[in-house]
Amino acid sequence: MKNTDKPMDIEVKLIHPDENEYVKIGCHKIDERIDEITRFIKSRQGNLEGYTEGDMYSIPIADVYYIESVDDRTFLYLEKDTYESKKRLYELEKVTDSFHFIRISKSVVVNLMKVDSIRPALNGRFLCKLKNGEEVIISRKYVQGLKDKLKG
Amino acid sequence: MMYMKDYWKDHLKECLRNYFIIVTGINLAVFVIGMIFRPDQKLGYDAFLYPIIYGAITSIPGLLMVEKKEPTIKQAIFREIIGVILISAILLTTMFAGMKITGELIAICCGIVVSVICITVLVNVISWILDSKKAESLTNDLIAFQNKING
Repeated sequence: MKNTDKPMDIEVKLIHPDENEYVKIGCHKIDERIDEITRFIKSRQGNLEGYTEGDMYSIPIADVYYIESVDDRTFLYLEKDTYESKKRLYELEKVTDSFHFIRISKSVVVNLMKVDSIRPALNGRFLCKLKNGEEVIISRKYVQGLKDKLKG
Repeated sequence: MMYMKDYWKDHLKECLRNYFIIVTGINLAVFVIGMIFRPDQKLGYDAFLYPIIYGAITSIPGLLMVEKKEPTIKQAIFREIIGVILISAILLTTMFAGMKITGELIAICCGIVVSVICITVLVNVISWILDSKKAESLTNDLIAFQNKING
């Protein structure tokens, strides 16, 4: 009998309201079955509508690296793919606020969980290096807001 | 409309901050160039006005350089270079327009251009050092934040 044929043990426990809720999966390897469970959990945590080549996709908010407004159009950037959103940046900023997103410039809202490191740029600005290697600029005006959010 | 108002407010604040940095830099440059070329020169009270006037004149390019989009690092460096060229040109024109070109005048002009470059580099190096410490602190706070969320 293969390991994947065995039913998983399911453990649910109550935690203190101050703690963040979490789902932890113990597995022998990350296969299709685990990916499916992960996708399901992400889908229950909020989605955004994204469009590419005329098709609409439901994108888990947690998968979005950053959102950018370019010439009155709004784009959702994932690890490798880009989707267009029909919503304005300020609307998406409100929707994603509880998912640890923060405005870092006039045109960019970034997912803090996807930021790898921060380094200086010119003129009092900073550069966010994301976990997929991309870099986005933090305007001087938004640095204090970022600091406050990180300090909680 | 509100957004543009905020933008101009921030832009003017930034220009004002740069103006005071430039005035300090001009004072330093006048001291250094003066000590090199004319160490015995006596100046009147009006000499105190020149850094303020030149500071205002050299702030004009920064005031007019409006960024509708957040510039990339390359664009920001390019902007700094353009700024240095414009400031040097404005300063030299204001100070020496109509004067006879002599060897000493060319040397002073070179001194002024070098001073402008030095002040720009110095301001950027100082803010880079300060920002590096801030960036390190932000990265540490970010890691702590992510660890807290991930449990």
